[in-house]
Amino acid sequence: MISSAPVVGESVDLANGTRDYHKVYVARQHAGPRARGDVRWLALLGKQMICHIDATASPRLARSALTRAIAVASKCLAGSVLLLLALPLWANAQSQQDSPTLPKPVPVFSAGMGFITPFEGGQPHLDPLISPVFLVPLGEHWLIESRDTFESDLSTPPGSNSFHGTVEKEVDYLQLDYIANPYLTVTVGRYLTPFGIYNERLYPIWIRDLQSDPLILPLGTGPSGAGTGAMARGGFSISPRVNLNYAAYFSVLSTISRLDSDRLAGGRVGFFFPGPRVEIGTSFQHLLQDDHSNAFGFHFEWQPSVVPLDLRSEYARSSQGSGYWIEPAYRLSQITKGQDFFSRVQLVGRMQQYFVGKAPAEDPLPVDTKQFELGVNYYFRSDLRGVSSYGRQFSAQGNENVWTVGVTYRFVLPLGNGEMN
Amino acid sequence: MRTLMIAAAICTMSLGVAQAARAQGRSKSTSVSARAVTSAGSGTAQNQEFSLAEGEKRFRQNCGRCHVAPDKYPPRVMATVLRHMRVRATITDRDAKLILWYMTQ
Repeated sequence: MISSAPVVGESVDLANGTRDYHKVYVARQHAGPRARGDVRWLALLGKQMICHIDATASPRLARSALTRAIAVASKCLAGSVLLLLALPLWANAQSQQDSPTLPKPVPVFSAGMGFITPFEGGQPHLDPLISPVFLVPLGEHWLIESRDTFESDLSTPPGSNSFHGTVEKEVDYLQLDYIANPYLTVTVGRYLTPFGIYNERLYPIWIRDLQSDPLILPLGTGPSGAGTGAMARGGFSISPRVNLNYAAYFSVLSTISRLDSDRLAGGRVGFFFPGPRVEIGTSFQHLLQDDHSNAFGFHFEWQPSVVPLDLRSEYARSSQGSGYWIEPAYRLSQITKGQDFFSRVQLVGRMQQYFVGKAPAEDPLPVDTKQFELGVNYYFRSDLRGVSSYGRQFSAQGNENVWTVGVTYRFVLPLGNGEMN
Repeated sequence: MRTLMIAAAICTMSLGVAQAARAQGRSKSTSVSARAVTSAGSGTAQNQEFSLAEGEKRFRQNCGRCHVAPDKYPPRVMATVLRHMRVRATITDRDAKLILWYMTQ
């Protein structure tokens, strides 16, 4: 049993042998600013509740304490609800008062596409891909968004001189977003699993600097990289120097072809420091099926303002395995001579390692693997890019070279009048 | 039970107040918007935060972390893309508005 001596301002009901929590609170409120500011009374309150709930000498007292605890919890809940409603109210009023007129959104059709030619172990592949995106805004707070992927991996079977393959179709996401307030967006439907940063932010073919997936990508994101269920997410400034972003999600089991997902729950929290342009974050996930295993990960991003450098890295660990990748990318825009050419050139590198865990699987890899890649990208325009890379993979299954040459392109089309009236 | 009823009453009242405040905010926003557009059009000093420099800074801090600057699209297209990216990249409400302002000027 936990006991503590009464503190200044605390009253004790000696008649029934129990402390009166309401009196404790009231006494604290009248004990002066210093005492009110002291959060120790909250800890004391909690300890006393536990103390009385545990008390077996007097069940009546325990019931009484429990009733009071429920009452306090209910008040806290009501207060929290009020706070959640009041915060967006205040924030809306703040943001609306000093915002200029902004255009109203219109439905948009966009697509990223590419034609990549990887050479894996000397074997050439042809990988055409198109990934259409539909964005349909509804009113001021709603958005329907979807992305599908149509891709093929064409290769030459033994004894054949021609390329063969099938077109794989996948619904990456099809979700309804409700932007409730500056702090909260609620998403339902099929969504990209927010584990780490690569799956959500860097996966599209026109964004990624190296065309190969990181070895640890399937860890935490599942076989399809998507979940089916609901998610709460948002980003807001907690101080002028720090922005907080978060995502909490729940996914149900789906075995529907092209819409498959696992039953799981998880979340991600990131802290972005706008000054040095650094983001650090962590992800967690609990599988609610099969072995009920946990997965966790960390991510780090840095984009120094004085150098055109992007540095990204991730670490992930699950029962299948663990690993990391580090990817620096540098634009040659600092070269003054021939700047028109060099400012379009980007040098990329990636170092990564994968270690097999307790429950190894074919996807991502059945053996420990190490891989490095070096790439050169050339931006013809902001939406048209030539990509190339060379890498070498080391594993117990054999070492091999991985070459990549290709082109990526992205376009955006309005499905309506795009100009502001 | 009584506490739940009190909580429900508080929620209802809050929602009512929120609606009223939102309506009031809209009317204020309209007048402030008119001033902002007028000042921008006349070339006089405008809201300092909604400047191209600040918008570009927020763009580089948020969008530039993952991809290069896209071509400027029509304003209403940018509004949709920004709403999409606000959800996708968990951009703050303030940053999204500043970036949209910058990308549509």
